[in-house]
Amino acid sequence: MSEALDPRKTFGEALVEAGEKNPNIIAISADSSKGSGLGPFRERFPDRHLEFGIMEQGILGFAAGLATTGKIPFVAAIAPFVTARPFEMFRNDLGYMNQNVKVFGRCAGLTYSDLGATHQSLDDIAIIRTIPGVTVINPGDPVEIRKAVHAVASHVGPVYMKIGSPKMPVLFGDEHQFEIGRGVLMEDGKDVTLIGTGTVLSRAWEAAQLLRKRGVDVRLINIHTVKPLDSELLVRAAEETGKVVTVEEHYLIGGLGSAVSELLSQRCPVPMKFIGVDDQYASNGPYEELLGLYGLQSQQIVDTVLSFM
Amino acid sequence: MSQLSGVEEVALKRMSATIRKDILRMVKAGRSGHIGGALSSADILTALYFKIMRTQPHNPSWPQRDRFVLSAGHKCLALYAVLAEKGFFDKSLLDTYGSLGSKLPGHPNMHYLPGIETNTGALGHGLSIAGGMAMGLRMNGTDARVYVIMGDGELAEGSNWEAAAAASHHKLDNLVLFVDRNSLQISGKTVEVMSYEPLQARWEAFGWSVREINGHDIRQIYEAATSAPFAKTKPSVILANTVKSKGFSFAEDRANYHYWKATNEEIAQADRDIAEIEEGLSNE
Repeated sequence: MSEALDPRKTFGEALVEAGEKNPNIIAISADSSKGSGLGPFRERFPDRHLEFGIMEQGILGFAAGLATTGKIPFVAAIAPFVTARPFEMFRNDLGYMNQNVKVFGRCAGLTYSDLGATHQSLDDIAIIRTIPGVTVINPGDPVEIRKAVHAVASHVGPVYMKIGSPKMPVLFGDEHQFEIGRGVLMEDGKDVTLIGTGTVLSRAWEAAQLLRKRGVDVRLINIHTVKPLDSELLVRAAEETGKVVTVEEHYLIGGLGSAVSELLSQRCPVPMKFIGVDDQYASNGPYEELLGLYGLQSQQIVDTVLSFM
Repeated sequence: MSQLSGVEEVALKRMSATIRKDILRMVKAGRSGHIGGALSSADILTALYFKIMRTQPHNPSWPQRDRFVLSAGHKCLALYAVLAEKGFFDKSLLDTYGSLGSKLPGHPNMHYLPGIETNTGALGHGLSIAGGMAMGLRMNGTDARVYVIMGDGELAEGSNWEAAAAASHHKLDNLVLFVDRNSLQISGKTVEVMSYEPLQARWEAFGWSVREINGHDIRQIYEAATSAPFAKTKPSVILANTVKSKGFSFAEDRANYHYWKATNEEIAQADRDIAEIEEGLSNE
């Protein structure tokens, strides 16, 4: 875990690769083309890059209309502005109409740590996963971001994918298999299951290494697709370890922990612990310190797991 | 601009009477419905589907077809009627309106019936979707057009003005919007609930070219639609002055018939009203 890469840059490069393969892919910007990683796509395919300015409600409608003509729009902007703000357009125009539009929320989670709660996005997974038929993806490292972009481009149907902004440690090699809806068993273990997603998967991975040194046989699972959930992998982990801890840079309400508990409460109820942001508008300040405020640093995850055991 | 012959005009008027009869048929089945806007937009829809738009009912996903977006989805009784009469689906489906799991819900669903292009119902969505269609058709190199009907009460939704700005910015002159200006919404006169005036100046300020017509005059509807784009590189809006519940004497121009819970007496009156319209046309 030595190398770390810029997630937006990785996204932008992958989108160019996908655009080379499929001429129907177009990029849609809301006055944030460069910041959203769309710069290389705009340079490579100027006619397939559409700028709309700051009008995210209208953008989702335009994207749905474009999709009806065979285009595959990739809409990228700051996460809350393509989820919370245009929620009804996401639900009706993309979800209910089942249009092949891909929405990328960037600088999600606490990324905009110093800009405050208007720009942080801690509810995007909660609200978007209520929409039937929408796939929700939260990749855990730069390799997954790149592979997810290609998988999303091939998948037919509406998708929400979120990425952060700080550099992300590389956790996987190029041989890593990314399949929408299929979780990744990163480490096997019998004592407790630790499930990470997205930006804080690397913290969960670090915590798993520390726990192992403390003699805890931890099972580590990466859930990059929060919807649809890999129910088989999760139920088996609950059956075999009997305890589950989830880690996410998201509200405890409605996120990964909620999704996993909705599944396990019906299929294999076990004690669970959620790590994330509780019911409040998050504070502001340096990113790493904010993660610490909400218990998302590796050593804090270790402490939480140990006290839960 | 094209002109209708007298024979064509009478045929379209007869069809619009049939559309009103179909709207009543659905209300008879479901015992209620949004007739106010369905009847105010019925003549526009008739002219669009029976004279103006390029469609293939037997091949509803034909890529070269003109698109129609009913932004004010609650006017769908009129859309169901024209699609059925045009042959997109069997007319017997009209009798299922209001029943459990009907393919004709109170707001249209594109997955249920051929010919329906969008799922609308929540107001202020249609123009953006239509703008995206117009953009995609242009990128694909087809000359197909996109037609939209929006209610005038719907103009209060801010998302419409995002769409209006984007459509003119991107020079979508293959986009034609009808504003069904029946001047009423549920709670009263539209300009008293939330004024949109000066309406023509608003659209012009947003970069659209504007025409104003009588939205029940088939000839005016046809001539305006076939004149679009009124200015090259600009999207076109037709401000169609209409009467809410047009054709049903007891409900005309009355806001409380926006949604009609039908009584037997009213249904009998609506039958007589339509018979009268047809009788008048039989002499033309």
